[in-house]
Amino acid sequence: MLADIVSNLSLGLSVAASPEGLLFLVIGAFVGMIVGLFPGFGPAAGIAVLIPMTFGLTPTIAIIMLAGIYYGSMYGGTITSILINTPGESATVASTLDGYPLAQKGRAGPALVMQAVASFFGGTIGVILITALAPSLANFAASFGPSEYFLIIAVGLLMLTTMMGDNKFKGFISALIGFAVGTVGVDVMSGQQRYTFGSPEMIGGVYFVAVAIGLFGIGELLHCILNGQHLQPAKRLRISFRDKEFWPTRQDYHESRFTFWRGSAIGFIAGVLPGSGATLGSIIGYSVEKKIAKDPEKFGKGEMRGLVAPEAANNAASAGAMVPLLSLGIPGSGATAVLLGAFLMWGLQPGPMLIVNDPEFVWGLIASMYLGNMILIALSIFAIPLFVKFLDVPYVNVVPVIVLLCVIGAYAINASIVETWILVVSGLIGFAMKKYGYSPAATVLALVLGSMAEETFLQTYIISQGTMNLFWTRPVSLILSLILLTIIAIPVLIAFLRRTKPLKETSDQRGQ
Amino acid sequence: MKKWFAAALLLLAIGYTAYGLSTLSLYTSSGRPAAGFFPLLIGLALIVSCAINLWGDVREWQAERAAGVLHTHQTDPAAEGTAEALGIDTYRLDGRREYGRDVAITFVYLCGFVAILKLVGALPAMIVFMLVFLFTFNRAHPLSNVLYSLALPGFLYLLFKVLLNASLPTGPLGF
Repeated sequence: MLADIVSNLSLGLSVAASPEGLLFLVIGAFVGMIVGLFPGFGPAAGIAVLIPMTFGLTPTIAIIMLAGIYYGSMYGGTITSILINTPGESATVASTLDGYPLAQKGRAGPALVMQAVASFFGGTIGVILITALAPSLANFAASFGPSEYFLIIAVGLLMLTTMMGDNKFKGFISALIGFAVGTVGVDVMSGQQRYTFGSPEMIGGVYFVAVAIGLFGIGELLHCILNGQHLQPAKRLRISFRDKEFWPTRQDYHESRFTFWRGSAIGFIAGVLPGSGATLGSIIGYSVEKKIAKDPEKFGKGEMRGLVAPEAANNAASAGAMVPLLSLGIPGSGATAVLLGAFLMWGLQPGPMLIVNDPEFVWGLIASMYLGNMILIALSIFAIPLFVKFLDVPYVNVVPVIVLLCVIGAYAINASIVETWILVVSGLIGFAMKKYGYSPAATVLALVLGSMAEETFLQTYIISQGTMNLFWTRPVSLILSLILLTIIAIPVLIAFLRRTKPLKETSDQRGQ
Repeated sequence: MKKWFAAALLLLAIGYTAYGLSTLSLYTSSGRPAAGFFPLLIGLALIVSCAINLWGDVREWQAERAAGVLHTHQTDPAAEGTAEALGIDTYRLDGRREYGRDVAITFVYLCGFVAILKLVGALPAMIVFMLVFLFTFNRAHPLSNVLYSLALPGFLYLLFKVLLNASLPTGPLGF
């Protein structure tokens, strides 16, 4: 097995380490870090907007660049978390808890270096686990039928919505909206047109890129404007790696030596589970670290372990999220959903057969993630002064740049003004969804997976002659059905218990 | 606004289902599910969930009104009207000031940009959008606004049109 892995990785390295592969990997990592720096422009929007820029590239190089944006944004998002207490990305929110107090204590340099090291550690551990797990999972998934695939999609979407706290129900509605939009176009089974209103441009369906750019790009941007981000003055900061105080001490590394491992393990598991992803992984990583620490009172006041844990976790999670994407073709987050859309656009069919049919692509991508993490740690340490300079640009100047990229990006894909208007409408809907607690990520995920969900659901229906008994007669389907029922039952049970407890307390008080 | 958004979603869900029922068949002649089967399932699930969601949002609004904790207005009446027309909330959230008027203005500019994109061409449309946006929100720096509005669209145009050969709309001026 080890020999297989080594030979596969060397195949991947021959693709990723080619001059063209390295060039676009560096571009992707650099752009990813910039995407991470600015609030309101997360990795999902970054990938979606830059898809048109990859048209002249081969599919493997294009996806290597887009994946670089994805995990590069995890590195970049922390810079603002530490320096100005503003997470550039939701996955770096937990990093502000100790990152910013460290900067206030005059330890911004060591914090930035330690976050880069932790990110590298988490990211690399994550890629090693992908290398080991993705082929095995793909082998296992090769026996999956339509019922298993439908249930995996349903479990993934439900998990994504149940992670939304009080807004689970709105997350569920968001997923249904995605499915509804996904039904526009030609029906795959009968060839009949649906919801096209006679427009030839709608026959191919609503293109996910325009919707993703609108929901994640324009929607987030409008929300940032609503919060007055565009009126904030530029933050003029200066950091130099030539300063003596820039580097972490030996004690910093010594105290965090186990934190690197714990954070990476927690993050990877969170990433593999559909729906939880890097944000939850980093929060759990931080909470666990604080809980097991002998001195938890130090956390939140500038404790290095409080920064290392979420950083290792969010990078391991971003790698972990690639496992279901590559082996099952099921993304677990908004950003990986956009990546899946890019796969499909390039004619790659993600799923268990991808590793068999396109080994150069899969192993090239995995190998590029090893190299990408090396490039990112170098960029994160030696180019910090340059990235800090980007913060000199006031947000009011960043807003029109994002709008131009979104509009030009949406138009350039199919030279379609209809799709550009879809972007505008999606932007307004994305803004309202963000403001009122709905989930744009669930909508995009459902839109991308909509046709697959419909096809597998109807195949299950037809094979089982309308009884749907495949959901409980096949062992894997049965397990997935039970997981699905558990995900639905637990929140209902908790809500029921919460409701009955006050009633019981009231009746007890009356009894007294 | 939250309840109005929920109401709009419910209306759209009803429209989606009704249109699907009237234009698509549910089963084929051999009794297999046809093009309308899955949309009907989605539509019904949407109607039920959107109705429950609207009910919850209305109850929340009523509870807030009864407790007298309705959010206060932050912007001027004209801006409020514009934001209302565009379906944007102008109320305070989490105790912080909100800039609903600026959201409305940005959105109108965005619509204008897309509307003129094919008429005047990509480069002039980008320059006009940048100038209008920056002279609205960054009036203190006119010179840098002009330079920025010329340089950035020029760079993007070169990148997409010349380097990447992407199809961008061409106007009467040839770019």
